[in-house]
Amino acid sequence: MFRKILAANDGSEGARKALIAAIDLAKKYRAELHSISVEEHLPHYAASLGEVLEAQSEANDYFKKKNEEAMALALKEGLSLHTHVLAGHEVGTIIQFAKDNHFDLLVIGFMGHSKIFGRIWGSTSHNLTRLSPCTVLVVK
Amino acid sequence: MKLTPLPEVSDRGFLFSYEEGKKMENIWSVVLIWTLLALLSSLISIRIGVSVALVEILVGSLGGNLLGLHAADWINVLAAIGSVVLTFLAGAEIDPHVFKRQWKESLFIGFVSFLVPFLGTMAYAYWVAHWSPEASKIAGIALSTTSVAVVYAVLVERGYNNTELGKLILSACFITDLGTVVVLGLLFANYDRWLLIFVISTGAALYFIPRMTPWIFERVGSHISEPESKYILFLLFALGAIAALAKSEAVLPAYLIGMVLAPVFLANRTLAHRLRMMTFTLLTPFYFLKAGALINFRFAMAGAGLILMLLGVKVAAKFFGVYPLTHTFRFGPRKGMYTTLLMSTGLTFGTISSLYGLSHGLINQGQYTILVTVVILSAVVPTLIAERWFAPHSAPLSETNVEETMAVSGSESSLKGGDSHVSKDTGSK
Repeated sequence: MFRKILAANDGSEGARKALIAAIDLAKKYRAELHSISVEEHLPHYAASLGEVLEAQSEANDYFKKKNEEAMALALKEGLSLHTHVLAGHEVGTIIQFAKDNHFDLLVIGFMGHSKIFGRIWGSTSHNLTRLSPCTVLVVK
Repeated sequence: MKLTPLPEVSDRGFLFSYEEGKKMENIWSVVLIWTLLALLSSLISIRIGVSVALVEILVGSLGGNLLGLHAADWINVLAAIGSVVLTFLAGAEIDPHVFKRQWKESLFIGFVSFLVPFLGTMAYAYWVAHWSPEASKIAGIALSTTSVAVVYAVLVERGYNNTELGKLILSACFITDLGTVVVLGLLFANYDRWLLIFVISTGAALYFIPRMTPWIFERVGSHISEPESKYILFLLFALGAIAALAKSEAVLPAYLIGMVLAPVFLANRTLAHRLRMMTFTLLTPFYFLKAGALINFRFAMAGAGLILMLLGVKVAAKFFGVYPLTHTFRFGPRKGMYTTLLMSTGLTFGTISSLYGLSHGLINQGQYTILVTVVILSAVVPTLIAERWFAPHSAPLSETNVEETMAVSGSESSLKGGDSHVSKDTGSK
């Protein structure tokens, strides 16, 4: 049923649960397994290029560590995980990536925002579920 | 008989005399306030995802207007060093290879992006706002700039930094900034023997420094006492001192030295990292907080109309200058507009020019307030419009492999590892 699975990985505990579910499904369906991490905290209106480069470098170090952990987790189950790190807005970037690469399933963690924020803007998981071009599994 | 100790004797019992102690106490109180504001700015910046420099300006403006924050002499020194090192880093972050590919387009767009807004805003300030000729020149310089950093962050988030379009925009921004720095350095200089000495020594430095520096770095090596950083600072201050004798501006040689040393910095990323750390921790907070503290809210309110007009003139001038060129180079209307708006942004060199004008008595505090407010708005407004209405369709998603996304600097470490994938540039030419 699922040939290409994409797990969203922001390094949080929720994302870890989503990855474990994605690994399980990929094993079951013999699907290709990918993960995506989005750098969304590059400083806006920076005064120097160095500020952006350093922020990017810090984010890369963080995601490098998280992706190594994720790959080790997949490898334990005999799977190869293809990791991707992109910059941009979290929702827009994941949706665009899922569209461009024709994924069948997007697996995401349930990310809790404050009630007020959630009511006004909708949570990340809510927006991903609404806008995704493919089936979405939200892991709680 | 009453014995009173001699003042000299009693003073010797303490590390500092009473007067010295009072001074020290004041210094620590002042440092405390400025450091607290710098720390607060960092925390706000991390929380809201806006550059620390912009937050420092805003926090500084609140401090200046609500707490009476003002810069002591030694803060002025730190701020001045901050602006020079920041300018040096701006020059050193250029990747010469980017220029080589599209030098003609970069040069044309970058030069026009400087010249038309410079003339346009200067003319508006002089003929419409009735500013003095000197103040009008400062207005022209401050509003001719383009912020490479603002543009770069937008391009990275849109995935355009690895495309030919993104690289062209970035290299054109560097040319625009070069125009701004050169005019700031030469327009107000005294045309006498000191200027000749300044030009000759800068020319010699630009020729010899790129040849000498790798040799020197190889011999001294990286060390905890930072001989490499001190060597860079020595060069900047030496040329800055000669620039000051010629009544020029130290940021001019700093930017040029940065440009010629860019290949050295591309090859030595840890040095770039160490210099940035030093600058962002100890120097630029004083510079941007000071730049903000000099903004006067009363002048900003009174000059709101002029602020909007100058912002409009800047963006319109960029539009008349850059947009036709984007057609000539076949960008298409949407990408042309996107490029034009991104090139209308400005921040660092705008504040540096305005502060230069104020500290040299070329503009008053009211004019400074108006210019810096326009500069801040120009960092935000064109970016928002470009992102909201003119972002080119189907932006290519380029993955954050640092070696590729940092094409501008060519620095930092790679994210490659395991099965990490790197999308190829899908190009948007």
